[in-house]
Amino acid sequence: MRLLPYGPRALLAEFTSLGEVLGAAEALRAAALPGVVDVVPAMRTVLVIHDGADPALVEEALRSGGDELPAAVGTVRVPVRYDGPDLDAIAATTGLTVDEVVSLHCGATYRVAFCGFLPGFAYLIGLPAQLQMPRRRSPRPRVAAGSVAIADGFTGVYPADSPGGWHIVGSTQVVLWDAGREIPGLLVPGVDVVFEAV
Amino acid sequence: MRVARIVAQGIASSVRDAGRPGLAHLGSGRGGAVDLDSLRLANRLVGNHPDTAAVETSGGLVVELAHPTLVAVTGSQVDLDVEQGPPLGWGAPVALPAGAVVRVGRLRGGARCYLALRGGAVRAGWPESLDVGADATGSPSDAVAVPRDLEVAVRLWPGPRLDWFVDGTWGRLLGAEWVVSAASDRMGARLAGPALERSEHRELPSEGLVEGAVQVPPDGQPIVMLADHPVTGGYPVVAVVDPADIGLVAQRPPGAPLRFRRAR
Repeated sequence: MRLLPYGPRALLAEFTSLGEVLGAAEALRAAALPGVVDVVPAMRTVLVIHDGADPALVEEALRSGGDELPAAVGTVRVPVRYDGPDLDAIAATTGLTVDEVVSLHCGATYRVAFCGFLPGFAYLIGLPAQLQMPRRRSPRPRVAAGSVAIADGFTGVYPADSPGGWHIVGSTQVVLWDAGREIPGLLVPGVDVVFEAV
Repeated sequence: MRVARIVAQGIASSVRDAGRPGLAHLGSGRGGAVDLDSLRLANRLVGNHPDTAAVETSGGLVVELAHPTLVAVTGSQVDLDVEQGPPLGWGAPVALPAGAVVRVGRLRGGARCYLALRGGAVRAGWPESLDVGADATGSPSDAVAVPRDLEVAVRLWPGPRLDWFVDGTWGRLLGAEWVVSAASDRMGARLAGPALERSEHRELPSEGLVEGAVQVPPDGQPIVMLADHPVTGGYPVVAVVDPADIGLVAQRPPGAPLRFRRAR
């Protein structure tokens, strides 16, 4: 782990693998240190936003994380209609049938690694290797809220209508972001996610 | 609920509170007023909780009050005019009668001002009207605020990826006179000046951003992240604006010069 300067109210910890990132982020969240405002994992880094936390304690907690995927802090079940417009293209690219694509996608258990892009958009890891593919060559100008999609080794659900370049496999009615909820996001870092075909 | 009619919405006007910090791990930035200090000052002047919603505007806003209301304006210096009521000046609370029409005219020196109403501004009805809340928590201030000097140099800290740039970049950041570009918005203040040159050309996996982070896209022209910034980004962060000076950056209008100085 390498600690990088980020002004008086933040630290950036850099790691060599996503496993280390998730272990360190979970360890720091679990430590519940006074003054830590936000813990933001990403691909190779954990951003710690604080309001006068003790940097030595933050560093100690981050280093205690190890590089194994920590135990899930909960499981969220997301019902999905596998009616996505890209299923045929995914099948063609992967050499699978559409049914095989669907059963692979809903047969895996995913983990929220980190969020970004839009409020409530979670990057889920655990996508079966056969379904890993780069994003679409040309992004769509509008992807509907609730679209379930895959790209770049991740799967995710669009929380709001937005432009998007991922391959859409289906749709869900689940509300991923509700500003009125105490925790507005449904898919928070550290939880497991299971997609159930309906 | 008391209602105020929006006669003219003006430029970039919206109802903003202090936003919600602590949700970046869920993909959501703070949002809220870009110049938090000015929002809080306006609220204190009228006796609201400092984080209460007010109207953020870049001028041209006209509001007709349906009921007697205590109001205050902070942020940029600005031409203010009241019809059917006593004069309103910058940075002092004034009790306006029912029927008063407040005109927030041309901004003088800054980029945004804040119109606070005692009880708070409630977005329902916007942009035709806004509701005036009833949750004032304290007494109005009888003080007159002291305007900030909006043209002082902005304090800067080294960022996590300063070493991705060629030698001398820190000196170039501090030595140049930057100009705020017209493409700036609530997401970020875009600066024009000498291009910052990278020595490390690897692709950066997206990483967390803070308010005040100075990101450098491939054209070398830095962008200072403001209230609506994305929570992660894939351009290297060369420096970070001191949290106390973010409001100064947010108040620089397009075309204005901006200089940095070392935070410590």
